[in-house]
This record gives sequence, C-alpha cells and structure tokens, in this order.
Amino acid sequence: MVRFFLRRVAGAAMIMVIISVVTFVLFYAVPRDPARAFCGKICPPQNLALIRHNLGMDDPLFVQYWHWLAGVFTGRDLPQFGECAAPCLGYSFATREPVFSAILDRLPVTLSVTFGAAVVLLTFGVVTGMIAAWQQGRPLDKIASASSVIGASLQIYFVGPLLVFFAVDTLGLLPRPAYVPITEDPGRWFVHLLIPWLVLSIIFTANYTRMTRSVMIEQLAEDYVRTARAKGMSGRTVFLRFAWRGAMIPIVTIFGVDLATLLGGAIITEQTFTLHGIGELAVRAVQNTDLPMLLGVTLVGAFAIVTLTILVDVLYAVIDPRVRLR
Amino acid sequence: MSRTTPAGPAAGNGGITTWKGHMRSSRRSAAAAALLMAGALALAGCAKGGGGGPVASAGGTPVQAQENKAVSAITVGGAEESRGPAPAVPGSKRGGTVTMIDRDDFSHLDPGRVYVNYLSTVSLLFTRQLTGYRQENGRLTLVGDLATDTGTTTDGGRTWKFTLKEGLKWQDGTPITSADIRHSFERLYAPFITEGPTYVQQWLVEGDYRKAYEGPYDGMSLDAIKTPDDRTVVFTLTAPHPDFNFTVAMTGYGAVPKAQDTKERYDRKPFSSGPYKIASRVTDKSMELDRNPHWDPATDPIRNAFPDRWHMEFGVQAQNSTDRFLADSGADRTTMTFHNPLSPERVQEVVGDPSAMARSVRGLTPYTTFYNINTKRITDVKVRQAIIKAWPAKQIQLVHGGEANSGKIATTVLSPTVIGYEAFDLYGTLAKPTGDPEAAKALLKEAGQPNPTIVYAYNQTPTQEKVTVAIREALTKAGFKVVAKPLNAGTYYDAIGPVDNGFDVYWGGWAADWPTGSTAIQPLFDGRLIADNATNYSHLNVPEINAGIDAANAITDPVEAGKAWAALDRKIMEQAAVVPEYYRTYFGLYGSGLGGVEFDPMTGLQYPLNVYVK
Repeated sequence: MVRFFLRRVAGAAMIMVIISVVTFVLFYAVPRDPARAFCGKICPPQNLALIRHNLGMDDPLFVQYWHWLAGVFTGRDLPQFGECAAPCLGYSFATREPVFSAILDRLPVTLSVTFGAAVVLLTFGVVTGMIAAWQQGRPLDKIASASSVIGASLQIYFVGPLLVFFAVDTLGLLPRPAYVPITEDPGRWFVHLLIPWLVLSIIFTANYTRMTRSVMIEQLAEDYVRTARAKGMSGRTVFLRFAWRGAMIPIVTIFGVDLATLLGGAIITEQTFTLHGIGELAVRAVQNTDLPMLLGVTLVGAFAIVTLTILVDVLYAVIDPRVRLR
Repeated sequence: MSRTTPAGPAAGNGGITTWKGHMRSSRRSAAAAALLMAGALALAGCAKGGGGGPVASAGGTPVQAQENKAVSAITVGGAEESRGPAPAVPGSKRGGTVTMIDRDDFSHLDPGRVYVNYLSTVSLLFTRQLTGYRQENGRLTLVGDLATDTGTTTDGGRTWKFTLKEGLKWQDGTPITSADIRHSFERLYAPFITEGPTYVQQWLVEGDYRKAYEGPYDGMSLDAIKTPDDRTVVFTLTAPHPDFNFTVAMTGYGAVPKAQDTKERYDRKPFSSGPYKIASRVTDKSMELDRNPHWDPATDPIRNAFPDRWHMEFGVQAQNSTDRFLADSGADRTTMTFHNPLSPERVQEVVGDPSAMARSVRGLTPYTTFYNINTKRITDVKVRQAIIKAWPAKQIQLVHGGEANSGKIATTVLSPTVIGYEAFDLYGTLAKPTGDPEAAKALLKEAGQPNPTIVYAYNQTPTQEKVTVAIREALTKAGFKVVAKPLNAGTYYDAIGPVDNGFDVYWGGWAADWPTGSTAIQPLFDGRLIADNATNYSHLNVPEINAGIDAANAITDPVEAGKAWAALDRKIMEQAAVVPEYYRTYFGLYGSGLGGVEFDPMTGLQYPLNVYVK
C-alpha cells in the first residue's frame, strides 16, 4: 500500500513537470508579445525593451523556465510586479495578481460547485437507477429511464438561464446564483449554489440513472444473488446489502473520470452564472494568452485529476476486497 | 488586454481588445489661448457636437438612428470655475449604495499606470489631478482640480506654475502638498511604470527619458520640477507646450502621496484624494468604496458624491448585464455599469420600449475606427482611392447590427468630438454607402492597374468573416483581386505591427488623448513616427502633411488650430491612407432606482460623479 502510494505520487509529480514544460513551450509557439500588454497606448520602443527585461523575456527559454520552476520553491522578485513569495507561480499578465493566490482564492468556488453537484448527481442518479432496477419494466422504471434521456440531452447554458428566469426572476423562489463562502454563512452558501448544482448535475444524473439501472439488473442476475435468495434472504435484503456493492465498482470508476469532466463542466457553469472560479480563470487565461495563469490553472487541473485517479484506485480496495494494491 | 475595448461593436471587430481604444482628452489650443489670459478668462471652444454633418440615412438600418450627444462645447475655466463644490444636480439625494457591474475588473488603479478610459472613469472617484473636467448639462470646462486654477505660464507654455488649494487632504487626513505632486510626477520615471501616457515624462527631460532619470526611489530628484513652498509647483519643460494644463488632466498624471507610495503594490490599492476610498478589493470579483471623510467638497469643482457606498462586481458579460437591467428587479434597480454596452441582440427590444429607453445612456464617443491602407505597399494613390470608392460601408454596418450597435458611418479621420472637426465626404460614401464599383473601376483604369491584388488581414471571428465576405464581394466587383488573411484575435496587433507586415488593408481604431487634432492625427499620420509597432499603421509619409502637423501644433488660437487640423484631415483623406469606418457610439442601460446617470463625452462611457439613489 505504501509502495503503491509512493510510486503513484512520483508518477504524478513527473506528469506535472511534463505538463508544465509542454505548456511553457506551446505558449512560446504563439506569435504574440505579452510585453505589448504592459505598454501604454502610444508605446515608445524603450518602454517595450524595459518591459521585456522586467518580465525576464530577454533570457533564453530554458532559463525562463528554470526561473519559473525555481520560483515555485524559493519565490521570486519580479521587477514589473514586486516580490512574490513561494510557492510563486508568477504574476498574471492580465490582472497582475499572483497566480497562486488567485487560484487559491477561487478554488473554494469551483470545489463547492463541483463537489456539490457531484453529491446531487450521485444521490439522484444512483437512487433513481436503483428504483428503476427494482421496478424493472414497471411505470416508475419507464419514467426514470425516459427522464434520464431528456436530462442527458440538455445543455447547461440552456437550462441555466431558464432556471434562473423562472426560479429567480419570475417566481423569486431562490436567490441569484452566487458564491457565499461556506465559512461565512453555510445556509446562504447552500441556497445560492442550489441552481448551479441542479443544472450541472442534470446532465450527469441521467448517465448515472441508466448505468446504475443496468448494472443493478446485471447484479441481480448473478449467481450469488440467486444463492442468497435460495437461502431464504428477502429480496430487499439482497438488493440493499449485496447487489449494490457489486454495482458500485463500475460506478466509482466512471465517477472518478466524471469528476474531472465535472471540473470541465464547471467552466461552463461558472460562465453561465457569473461565478468566479477556476473555470473562469482558465477561460480568461486562454483569451488573454496569459502564460503564468495558464500554467497555474493547467497544473491545478492536472493535479486534481491525478489525485482523483489515485483516490479512485484506493476506493476500489475499500469496496472490493478482491482488489489488493501493490 | 481585454476590456480596453470601448462600447459597441468591439465584437463586430472581432473583439479586438484594443489598447488603442482609449482616451482621456483635453484640449490643446484652447489652453494656449486661455493661458495667454492667465487662465482667468473662460474661452469658448468650438467643438461641434451631435455628430455634426450628414450621417448615414436610417433606411435599411435595422434600428433607427438615435440621437447621439457629442461634446457641445469645451471651455477653459479660471479660478472662479475651479472653486468647489461641483454643480448641483436637480433632484439628487445623499445616501445609499450604488452597485456597478461590468465585464472586467480594473487592470490598474495606480494613476501612473492608467491610460484607458474605463480606468479613468473609476479613478474619478478616488484620484485627483492638478486639473480636470467639470461636466454640466453636456458642457465641459477644464478647471483646476487640486490646483486653484488651470495653471499659469508667462513664457508661452515652457514654464508652468500651479498653486494647490487650501484644505486638501489625503484619506488619512494628512495634507496634500507640493512635495506629493512633485513625487507623483517623478515616480513616473520608475521602471515599473510602463502603461501610462508618456507626454510629460518626455517634456521634462532632454533625450530618452528612461535613460535621463530612473525615479525618486534612490533619492534622486528631477530639476525640472520645483516646489518653492508647500502649495506651489513649477514645471520647466524642455520646449513650450501651451496645452500642458490639458495634459495634466489625464488620470495618468494623478496625485500619489509620497508617504504612502508602495511602488509596484500601489496599483493594488491606491490612496485616495477623492470623495471615496477603497474599503476592499478582490481582484476580478469585486471592489467596495466608502466615503473618504477627509475629502472636502468645497475644494472640488468636479465631483458630486451622493451615494455613501459603491459596490462593484466584475465578470458580468454584456448580455447578462443587459438582461439584469431590463428585468430591473431587486438590488439591480440601483445598479449601473461604467462600460458594458447593451448587448446587440437586445437593441431592437430596448429601442421599442419607452421605459427602458428612459433608463438608457447614449452618446457619441471620441473613438473612431477605420481600415488602414498600407501606403508602403499600395503606392499609387488612385488605387487607394479606388478602394474607398468601392468600399461596402453599409453592408459592413449591417453585419455589425446597424448604427445603434456600431456607430455612424465615418468619412473623415477626425471624430466629431474633436475641436475643429469639419464634415466632408470626399468619396461620396454617404451618397453611395454600398460602394461605387464603376467609379472605382475608372480610377483603377487611370492608374493603369485594372486588377490589383489586395491582401486583406482580419480577425478571424464569425462577425469578421461576414465583414470579409462583404469586402471581398464589393472590391471584386470593382476589379480587385482580394486575398483574405485571417489572423488570430489574440495576436492581431503583433501581426500588423511590423512595418513590413505583408498586408495591404487592416482594421484599426483610435481615440485622441485630448479633443484636438494633435493626438488624433499626429500619432496616426506623422511619417516621421513610422516604426515597428508604432501607431502609424498606414505608414503614410507625406512631407507636406508632416510639416502641416508641426504648423498646427504651434498655433495657439484654438479656432485657427482647429481649422488647420481639419485641413490636414482633408489632405490625409485625399491621400486615401485609411477607409474611415465609424464614429463610434455608446448605448447602455442602468437601473430605475438611480438618477443622474449621464454619458461622459470624455471617455465615451457612463459617468459616475452625478449618480444618486432615488
């Protein structure tokens, strides 16, 4: 178990370095001079040269990368921006704020949206899927299956504004989506994020309903279920104590992958509801060719995915005793 | 660089976020005249407003042409006009919180790093300059802001003396002194100040200003600025600049306290000399302003400060803000925006809705757009003229959603907001707004090039693709062979920047730094300024025009100077260096719970200083 962990963590660190190098190099393939963004409307050439020097752009590419990497561990003093404490991911070219603190600052928003939505979709998806499997072929199953198809074909940017229009503008049932720090007011945090959670999860819930249903039906046809039944265990006990456990394995696998997708979905959700999270940062960084921010956001995204993958592997072992981590 | 795009069809132009788009203006020649009278006499400028002259007919435009207010008059005030408080606003009330929503956070708050209009607008609330503009019923007056008047000079504009008002205080209650003003100018030479205007820096020292002085932080000071006492500042320029008092009205020359200067970090949280101070700020999300108790309205002829608080939120796209203003519910009733224009798809709806129109802000901005013709590559003036003749101005305007979304079709280099502007239409664009292929063909025949090839570079966005189709069709009809070169929006200016860019025609935009021809014409058409990434994108270099620019800059009488600039405008258009596109307009909304929301002709945005909560 410990060796497994160490191996995976070392691998993850390797991946992060490779991603940072690739992003760095790719950025320099873009024929754009970020120094222009730091110069006035009428920009004297000596100012442009000064800015390039301030940004360290007059160094060779590998020196620039080295400075960046060293800055992560030791901090840097950047003439255009001032002191940047470790872990220093540089300053955003667009907003001039330290990349690390910008990301830290926005992380709670994206995590709240993502994990909130994950809870909603897992609960709804798995429960409706189980009901559908339990009620296989009956009206409830039909309704659950049909609504899952409808849900899967909807889009965030369509459902989002629609829900805001009805629930907020017309009926006044809910407040306008916003982020209130959970530490400040958990109640308001909850109600303000309800719409984003619902919207983001609608699309995914459908998948989980369908998947849970089919996996449960499969499990119910397994030999061990028949054995348990034959031994006189009630249908409900079999369903709730054994079959779901078998069904959870593929669901956890998919969920690990989907969490990453959910993070991606957060970009659209954040744009739709004007939430200031990592997704918005990513979109802006790309729009502005903002290298330091782009690097930072990419690394955070990669970090999240790598961590989740390791976590899912560990979860396997918890759910399925047959799996042993080596 | 986003946000620097002003209102309107930035999207139309591919959302190029142009740092060029911005301006603060001031006025050169009027200053000259005024200073001759020791700044004591108000002098009527002669900027003609209302978009002066003929405009495109509304026929075929989806939305009727709307009334767009331009600067109707600019005057130079003296000591009397420079006295506080600011002009009263009928019906105004003190108190409450105004919410401001906009797409982007303010990229800079350090005055030395402020150049673009959007940043100037917010700076009005907490940054004061030596001089500034007082707005009253659409009339603008240059007045002393921190100074008791608009400055005095006895040697034709080489030496300038400003006296600070009594009772001026920073947000901590310490007095604003001449040493602070001196420091504010000296720090502009520091290596981290690169984004602001550079006029004064260049005027105070000989040669390369970056080499001459590196700022006050290592104890060195600038001999060109003297402070004989706590309230007097004297500037000695290397050459006469009769418009210096307009130049120092730019936010870029705002006051920074010596004792509170945190250098690079000052940009995050500047120290207030104005009616509000920054209570909190979260980059890209929000900013809260509350009252600066040490600001004395009796010293300030420009700023009304009715609301107790400003709450600002960023990241709100134009579509989102438009829908919120239209819904006008809850807290959005006391919400305005500085920049976010009406989103194009809602224009029709708003124009047809009197209650929404009553909450709209419209006007003619100082911003003009045009298509540069690379005169280095297309050397035959007849071929260039043929391009203008064949140009599909109307079709392009339709792609951009009509006048309400873009602007009035332009036929000159100068904007109607510039003093001396004369309306003329050398190529009959307004008579034949869809292009005149026959006339273009005749010109090409005269030039002996019936089928010249034109390389047209553009931002590859859906809107610009459509514009390109219109241009290609129209020019092809006249005999041109059009080669369209799509460019990435993020690298557009990097591609067109080099003198040897390989393109014949490409879009651009400009706004003067003050409303005379000086900063409207010189940066764009002075052939001596041609260089990679310089502002003369058409690379026009005509000795007669270069000489004319120098001559116009030397004229002290504002009316005569205006005439000289207009004559130059005509000469440039004869040279066919650009195809003018629009005099850009602004059209935005605000909540019904606010009063005093006005258009600011200096920035082309909404004006914060007269706003009150009803």
